[in-house]
Amino acid sequence: MRGGFGAMHPAVALVYYMGLLLFALLQLHPVFVLTQIFGLVLLTALQGQARLLRGILLFLPVALSVALLNPLFSHRGSHILFYLWDRQITLEAVLYGLMTMTLLLAVFILFISYNYNVTADKFMHLFAGLAPKTALLLWMALRFVPLFQRRLREITRVQRLRGIDVGRGSLRKRMADGMTLLKVLVSWSLEEALQTADSMKARGYGVSKRSSYGSYRMDRLDKLVLLWLMVCACVPLIGWFGGQGIWEVYPRLKPMGWGWEEGGMYAGLCLFVLTAPVLEGKEKWQWRSSRRKAYPSATPQPDATRFRNSLLR
Amino acid sequence: MAKYRYPLLIALGLFLSLLGLTAALKDRHYLLLSLVMLAAALLPLFIRLERRPLEARELVLLAVLAAVAAISRIPFAALPNVKPVSALVILSAYVFGAEAGFIIGAVAALVSNIYFGQGPWTPWQMFAWGIMGLSAGWLRSTPLLHSRAGLLAFGFIWGFLFGWIMDIWYLLSQPDTLSWPLAAAAVASSFYFDLAHAVSNVVFLAVLAGGWTKVLERFRRKYGLLKE
Repeated sequence: MRGGFGAMHPAVALVYYMGLLLFALLQLHPVFVLTQIFGLVLLTALQGQARLLRGILLFLPVALSVALLNPLFSHRGSHILFYLWDRQITLEAVLYGLMTMTLLLAVFILFISYNYNVTADKFMHLFAGLAPKTALLLWMALRFVPLFQRRLREITRVQRLRGIDVGRGSLRKRMADGMTLLKVLVSWSLEEALQTADSMKARGYGVSKRSSYGSYRMDRLDKLVLLWLMVCACVPLIGWFGGQGIWEVYPRLKPMGWGWEEGGMYAGLCLFVLTAPVLEGKEKWQWRSSRRKAYPSATPQPDATRFRNSLLR
Repeated sequence: MAKYRYPLLIALGLFLSLLGLTAALKDRHYLLLSLVMLAAALLPLFIRLERRPLEARELVLLAVLAAVAAISRIPFAALPNVKPVSALVILSAYVFGAEAGFIIGAVAALVSNIYFGQGPWTPWQMFAWGIMGLSAGWLRSTPLLHSRAGLLAFGFIWGFLFGWIMDIWYLLSQPDTLSWPLAAAAVASSFYFDLAHAVSNVVFLAVLAGGWTKVLERFRRKYGLLKE
């Protein structure tokens, strides 16, 4: 059982990630985006999933190529750094490329965290009632994937005896063999799945409106956090509509005035971003202190044993 | 909460489209608007799926075909860059029609991304494979797809179209340099992947066009599925 942010109602998690995605896509000031990255990395680290962040290495080439291509293709801006093949490379274009790279990295990290916290069942809990047929379709397809993988292994082993093997032979033969395996899989699975469908019908599928089972209840903390997130998100959005919080790079690099509007927007964004790490950290802290505080229990615990010392350390 | 679901969702959709439009017009940032437009493109067909009377058998059939398409890359793990997903989507659409093709393509993309990780590319893949199925279904009664050469050409073209659709979100993330040279650079850098996709589509369609459609046709006739 997960505690903290992972245990909140799915709606809370979805609003959180949607808000972060929105802030990133609106291309606010790079400091704002860096704060988002910081918050997400903190959340992931607090959840003990820092190794997931290694996945970012896969996306680094894409993000780096953006940073590299922008100054090569864009020659706007007034601060010329140097000339490359008779084209000027401007400071503005380099900075803009770096900004876009940060933004892409923020989006990738966001999805890494999303994949861990919003599992498919949470997503479906929110939308199953809305689109029951699509939800059922998606659930069945999801459930078929591991089943078909098992069947495919079985089919592969059997067909190998007949010499049908994707690992051996010419490319064309291997592709044809792979297709033979898939063909066996689809006739087997369809035949059986259609029997399931008949059984569904016999038990009354489609007779009345479908109900959906939800294992998540929205309690008071969830509602409070939801409201809090929405209020916090409004501040940067209102500022953005007013044209604030954007770093003007083109046509001429401008130092960003950091007035009270930007300060307010940044505070709102920080409160929004840090909500999840704080919830997670609070849970962590409570577990830690409850372990420390030697609960009064029926069995008397001798003081200063090696066992207790190891816990205290 | 359930009572307010539709008004809430409509309000959210309007709000996001407003934000996206403002970002596109004011700062020339098109990413948000592109996501809103993708959602608008995907929604009508899913709404149609919800509203039309659908037998349990047909629902299960769509789920099986989408799941098979989603895992079809597994037997070919030994061959890099060879994924028969597109060929399977095209052939399923060829047998069961445009709407079924769309649903199979979009759901296959979503399901395989749930297992292999969601990302900003998920809606684009859903869109690309969905439209691939839709177009194959539309053209299925024309002489183009009935002739073997036409079917292969269709698969070849879609190999490139798919790659170009997937290039869009990368291009849109750099509005400042959005120009034909940049588009050409993106297309050129993905050329070999697209070519591999297109060629493997052709080979798969050539290898299994007959066998696969025969299997699906048999099921269609045996159980009377998805008749127009």
